[in-house]
Amino acid sequence: MLILLLALIAAPVRAGSPDGGMASAADAGTPAAAGAADAGQDDEALRRELEKALGKDAAAAAAAGQGQPAPPSQAPPSATGGTAPPPPLLRGAQSLNPDMSVILDAEGGYQRRPLQFLNGDDPLLRGEEGKKSLGVAVQEVELAFSAIVDPYFRGDVFLTIPNLEGLEVEEAFATSTSLPWNLQVKGGSFRSAFGRQNGQHLHMQDFTRRPLINAAFLGADGLRGPGVQVSWLAPLPFYLTLYAEAFSIGAPDEPAAGTTLAPPVATFGGGQPDDLTYAVEAKAFFPFGDAWSIYLGLNGATGVSPGLFQPTAAGVDVIGANRRSYLVGADLYVKWKPPNVAAGYNSLAWQTEAIWRHLDDAADLPGGWDGGLYSQVVLQVARRWFLGVRGDVVGIPTSSSLGQTLRGSASVTFQLSEFARVRAYGEAEHVVSGPSAPRVSLAPVVPGDAVAAFLQLEISMGAHGAHPF
Amino acid sequence: MAMRRFALLATLALCAPRPAAAALRVVSSIPTLGSLAKEVGGDRVEVESLGKGYQDPHFVEPKPSLMLVLNRADLLLYVGLELEIGWLPPLVLGSRNPKIQTGELGNLDCSRAIPVLDVPTTKVDRSMGDIHPQGNPHYWLPPANARIIAGEIAQRLSQLDPEGAATYQKNLAAFNLRVDAAVKKWQPMIGKLRGVKIVTYHKSWTYLSQWLGLEEIGYLEPKPGIPPDPDHLFRLIQSMRAEHVQLLLAEDFYNLNTARLVAEKGGAKLLDLPTDVGAKPPIKDWFILVETILRQLFAAV
Repeated sequence: MLILLLALIAAPVRAGSPDGGMASAADAGTPAAAGAADAGQDDEALRRELEKALGKDAAAAAAAGQGQPAPPSQAPPSATGGTAPPPPLLRGAQSLNPDMSVILDAEGGYQRRPLQFLNGDDPLLRGEEGKKSLGVAVQEVELAFSAIVDPYFRGDVFLTIPNLEGLEVEEAFATSTSLPWNLQVKGGSFRSAFGRQNGQHLHMQDFTRRPLINAAFLGADGLRGPGVQVSWLAPLPFYLTLYAEAFSIGAPDEPAAGTTLAPPVATFGGGQPDDLTYAVEAKAFFPFGDAWSIYLGLNGATGVSPGLFQPTAAGVDVIGANRRSYLVGADLYVKWKPPNVAAGYNSLAWQTEAIWRHLDDAADLPGGWDGGLYSQVVLQVARRWFLGVRGDVVGIPTSSSLGQTLRGSASVTFQLSEFARVRAYGEAEHVVSGPSAPRVSLAPVVPGDAVAAFLQLEISMGAHGAHPF
Repeated sequence: MAMRRFALLATLALCAPRPAAAALRVVSSIPTLGSLAKEVGGDRVEVESLGKGYQDPHFVEPKPSLMLVLNRADLLLYVGLELEIGWLPPLVLGSRNPKIQTGELGNLDCSRAIPVLDVPTTKVDRSMGDIHPQGNPHYWLPPANARIIAGEIAQRLSQLDPEGAATYQKNLAAFNLRVDAAVKKWQPMIGKLRGVKIVTYHKSWTYLSQWLGLEEIGYLEPKPGIPPDPDHLFRLIQSMRAEHVQLLLAEDFYNLNTARLVAEKGGAKLLDLPTDVGAKPPIKDWFILVETILRQLFAAV
């Protein structure tokens, strides 16, 4: 499979490429010399001959141990039809450096009781577990680099420093740009296309914290890691893209001995090093007029669960390790945004995502289904003002690994410019129950309530790539 | 019966004249570029636009359905100078169409030969607002620039479809003649507009002002992309009164509540003008677009 893909990427002659155009240009010297059918056959013969010749060149080069990539196709010089040439760019305006940007998310806030399903990029206030904390946090510093690598690849690297704790590679991947048959390959370390939230970075969120289901089922850092993705845009009258992914997900960090707060049962990252996590996704898009859009996703993934890390006074017990895990999910994004603002600066986005999980039985922990969902509405009420509300639930149904938690959140976002925004965010969380397995219920959850409120500042510096829909 | 009617319709549909099967599929970021491609390409091209004429070209929603349009394109035309930077790149990447990627023949930045205005001469930063470091991208209205764009398109179409090269050159020559005739016809209107003082909403009329000799006194946006604030508008209204500004120009895709008030207080007439083909249904090509703008300006002074 990989060899086939590499061969496709390196293929110097592509149907309809500029090379094809140039071959036709050579023929154009004798217009109407032959019928269209003959011309087609001649073109095909010439194409085959060129492929053969280039194949020989490549083989010779490989034999000599000095294979060179095909030269990139050149865009021709401009034709100005006798008008003055454009002024040259200022010295230094041209650069082959990647686009670079830095994004900062910082907030002041308050929270009572530590929160059970913490994402890696949730703001972390100092303070002891189980007590109130008030303070300032630097939720994330993101460093982004992106560039077109060559005629065959685009490269993106996103480094993140969540809560000032070490530099992580959030994503670092190459995306193919020249594959035929509507295929695209992504390789490196990246966020899975599973669902809608998982693929998004923190600064694309409408709320300060990510939904509960992300940390509960996809892991504190989301479903991301070293992997490869192949995607295919179906040649249909509507937009449908299919994705297949394989990841080498590492085991999550063990909690420190003596901590009273255990992470939720991780879905992926267990088993042997060669146990890969596989995911498949389908995304379909339907526009209704200029203003309405519906974006649908269906997702599935399977891997091996590393089990529950249960802190004890003596250390960390692991139970229910190395069970096969399955996720199925669906996401829906409905947006209303008129194509212009002549009638006012209003828009509406409704986003809902659900994930169900099945864990196989383990000797020391029964398996079964659990799941969760969130639904959020973001309303733009004025040019710079956005209001959001979200409801979250995990534990429908509850299982031996997962109790039930409800959360409601609200956000008010003031967007000063395209590059800066201030957000007020509040949430209330109610833990209904802990996991049903007796041994597990010792660990993470004491039913009760938690609240948090943050004032968040987000700024973006430099050239940052556009975001997808 | 229904079956027979269907068969008849199908037969008619098959017999109906269609563009040549090999017509090049041209996709433009804004409709005006597509319209110019149609002038040059004639029946040899099919044209579709990603953005609509009644849409702010800075802020087109990057809907995945547009990837599908780009997936089938042979040639992508865009304004460049970072006008579409907020939405076009992810669509081009997601289109999975090797022909229209950057650097390929099917990817034409129409600004390449334009004498660009408002190129910053000092170091820029975002305190100046959402500026375009490579210069002002709103260049497609003046006839000289339309000729340049059409010339660029004709050359690129000839490279993509060498058999049509003669047709493209013929169509380009005919287009340029029509432009000459139109400019001659518009001359009385153009003459009356020279020296007229104007204020505009966004700094997007610079090229038109340069062509017509309009004098730009100020802008509703204190800085590009930054919404107007009361202090700025107060100063603007003062200078509008002092300078006897006659017109306030705004694109018809903006919300004009503020502009209406400023025009009234500043003693100017508000004109909400189209800037793109398709801004209103009758504006079907570049000629009608420019003539519509000129007529509205002429009628207001």
